[in-house]
Amino acid sequence: MARERVEQQPAATGSTLIVMVGLGIAFLLFMAFLNVVKSGNLLNESNLLYAALIFYSGAGALYLGFGVTGVESYVKFASFATWAGLIANTGAAAHRWYEAGHPPFASVYEMLLSFVWTLAVLTLVAEKKFGVKVIGTVTMPVAIVGVVLMQLLRSDVRPLVPALQSTWLHVHVTLAMLAYAACALSFALAMMFLIQDKLETEMFLATTSLFTIAIYAGILTRFEKWGGLAVVGWNADEKSEMFLQRGVRLLVVIPDLGWLMLLVALVVAAPFVCYLLARAQKNNALITIGNRAVFVSILVQVLALGVFLLRARNGSYGSLDAEGLFPTSLAASPFILSGLVGGIFVSLLYLLLLWRRADLERLLPSSDDLDRITYKTICVAFPLLTLMIAAGAYWANRTWGSYWSWDPKETWAAITWLVYAGYLHMRVTRGWRGRRAAYFAILGFAVVMFTFFGVTYLLPGLHAYA
Amino acid sequence: MTLSTLGKKLWLTLSSIKTGVVLLIIVVILAAVGTIILQRPVTEPDEMQRAYSAHALRIFDALGLTDVFHAWWFVALLLLVSVSIVAASIERFPNAWRFFSRPYKYPDDSFRRFLPIQKEFSIQDEETGLVAAERAFHLAGYKPERVVHESHFSLFAERNRISEMAVYIVHASLLLIFLGGIMDALWGWRGTLNLTEGEMSNAVEMRDGTKKVLPFAIRCDRAGQENYADGTPKKWWSNLAVVKDGQDVDRKEIVVNDPLVHGGIRFYQSSFGTTGRVEKLVLTATATANASSEKQSLTLSEGKDFAIDADTYVRLAEFIPDHVVRDGEVYTRSSRIENPAAHLVVTSRKTGAQFNYWLPAIEEVAQNAKSPYQFEAQDLKMFHFTGLQVSFEPGQWAVWTGVVLMGIGLAFVFYVAHSRVWAVPVYGVSGELTLWVGGAVNRNRDAFGEKFQDIAENIQAQLKSETDTDRNSHIALISGH
Repeated sequence: MARERVEQQPAATGSTLIVMVGLGIAFLLFMAFLNVVKSGNLLNESNLLYAALIFYSGAGALYLGFGVTGVESYVKFASFATWAGLIANTGAAAHRWYEAGHPPFASVYEMLLSFVWTLAVLTLVAEKKFGVKVIGTVTMPVAIVGVVLMQLLRSDVRPLVPALQSTWLHVHVTLAMLAYAACALSFALAMMFLIQDKLETEMFLATTSLFTIAIYAGILTRFEKWGGLAVVGWNADEKSEMFLQRGVRLLVVIPDLGWLMLLVALVVAAPFVCYLLARAQKNNALITIGNRAVFVSILVQVLALGVFLLRARNGSYGSLDAEGLFPTSLAASPFILSGLVGGIFVSLLYLLLLWRRADLERLLPSSDDLDRITYKTICVAFPLLTLMIAAGAYWANRTWGSYWSWDPKETWAAITWLVYAGYLHMRVTRGWRGRRAAYFAILGFAVVMFTFFGVTYLLPGLHAYA
Repeated sequence: MTLSTLGKKLWLTLSSIKTGVVLLIIVVILAAVGTIILQRPVTEPDEMQRAYSAHALRIFDALGLTDVFHAWWFVALLLLVSVSIVAASIERFPNAWRFFSRPYKYPDDSFRRFLPIQKEFSIQDEETGLVAAERAFHLAGYKPERVVHESHFSLFAERNRISEMAVYIVHASLLLIFLGGIMDALWGWRGTLNLTEGEMSNAVEMRDGTKKVLPFAIRCDRAGQENYADGTPKKWWSNLAVVKDGQDVDRKEIVVNDPLVHGGIRFYQSSFGTTGRVEKLVLTATATANASSEKQSLTLSEGKDFAIDADTYVRLAEFIPDHVVRDGEVYTRSSRIENPAAHLVVTSRKTGAQFNYWLPAIEEVAQNAKSPYQFEAQDLKMFHFTGLQVSFEPGQWAVWTGVVLMGIGLAFVFYVAHSRVWAVPVYGVSGELTLWVGGAVNRNRDAFGEKFQDIAENIQAQLKSETDTDRNSHIALISGH
């Protein structure tokens, strides 16, 4: 049926999207150019970043168009736009490096700059070298969110505090970026493997729902009395988070937002409940309801995002810990924001799978190939993880006199390492292939995500820089 | 069940991959628990009490969950993991070692039949086939050797045999890292040493409050801070000297990230600040009786008398960096220089009269008006202190050797494959001669498959040109007749 839909696509639609995206890019660039002429400085960082954003957006639209319609020519233009965005991004990173005198890894802003760059490079590599053309559908939206987030964060070149003045920091962070990017790639490949391996769409329904439940459960850890949602206060002049005392962030409570988040959590849980019921009663009609629920949950999630954007952007709210009203900003809640966007995005990907599964299966490499490439990616990721941990330990030893102090970030990095070590052992000695290996790779990436986001957001710790 | 079978069972259990994986899963779960529950030495006791109820805290403490990573059962678990790795390696090592030490040079019939990567070529005579294979192997980067048999030769070549040992290198490196960690846990220690400029000490304060006396002393000659233009600290530095038997045996300017190491003990720059102690206080003094008299400049340091004239001397009795006055008493609020007050005592030698002079004049206690001199503060210099972290980690060498070894081992595990190729001339049942060429690799089969394909094509091409020249010479012979 899906195949029919492709054939129904009139050929003109293909070029319409390209022309529209092209015109959009040209228009935005022209508007940006007018501004630049006024300010007089063409090649500064924010202009380059803006150009990168425009190109990435264009590429994202085209990749998504490709994912939905399967029109091959989109990819060509999409990767062209990605190239253009990458060049602008490289310029911005080089500019920052030159200005700051150190590689761009020192602040969240700089790390995002490098992360987006790595993502774009990986997209092109995966597409050209491995022929995985749909990957841009996933990576480009992430890159766009990254660049938008960068606009909110403090971007002036700040001097490094003494503990960060070490070459080992750069080694450590570079390795971490590469390792995590490789883990992300292995995750995406494992997912594609499961699609090619004819895993039932219901399983993806359940996973999507679980993933969004996890996001909203994470957000609801900030649920406060009387249905408020606690977010970090933001000092607009300093462009930094507010602190109650050293190391303790000042939380302000946005009233009623907690109730909304709770409601959304219930809605995103609905598909999973449907899935469980369908399993228990062997009733496939419930799955259809579950699919509808995903659609509804996207609408509700967009609503939650919208309300969050409106309320958390430049509002002043009371705090439970201090007298008076304090301002907050979107930049103070990067994790909540990326969680909300990520939830919508994953649900959209599920709909893409639901509606265009046959096309996806036609476009992706064979399941054997995907299985092997997943394994190879982990073969790259694992040594990188090892070196990342070693470099971090060496740096800590030079700075604090202890190579291992069991702080949550370190411990979770070790757990990540163990999970991937487990994967490799099972694969090599037990001959785990196919699905079981793919599940393991997915588990590994879940742990990576927790190490990267969860530890910083949820657990108490000393790894204060990232 | 006899003792020996029990022992054998235990050994098999320990050395099985399953046991290893189960142990690792337990380690992962406990480590995760250790990051979720607040841990003891890092978290202050009152914060622990705030986070958990007294009852929960008692249970956590009793189970060791508030200091998971130093609890005996966690250490025991890590030891068990080590034992399991050792057992698994010993169990599998002999096989791998046989493989490594005695290369399989001549494939027998059944091996030839079941090898997945192989090819057969029909040849005229043994030598032609072997030479062609030899050339092809050489071209592919192998150095083939001729294996001598009773009546004929065969070829064998291999690359990167060490790759078979790589897994053991990685396991050994992991054990080395564990060993280092255990050594540090048993014999290592950490403490702090705060020194003011000019001070010397050999007593390191440990975490639990006890002092550890070093066999040498550390003296801080100078310490300082450099700031960026916006006032955030850029660099802390201290000039340290190691003093042994009254002599300087070592010197170094340390900064954050660059410690001083002496006798295996390392001294890190960890903090820097001003003490509450005054290095010098510069004042001007004017006689109270004669306000127009010349101002006299004087420099005071703690506990030293300064003679203003033949009769009067002044002494800095007390310096309070941050003072508050309550009920007629002066109290110290903090050790930061926020609201400083200096207490001077002006004494007359002749009369023995003493006046408490306060800067600023604190009404309740100051007798400034009665003092024969009035003072004005000009400059204040405080003693700096440098905060040093001191650590002794005797297992460090094992850890870093382990890390380097693991890097090498992993490089071999993932990127170096042991490949072998054979070429054997074989006579078929009906007497026809073929050249059997086979290859085997321990990982990365795809890349090797392509390589083997190249080798096979190369052999084929050589054999073809050989038969062509053969045929041509036959033709030449025929036409010559």
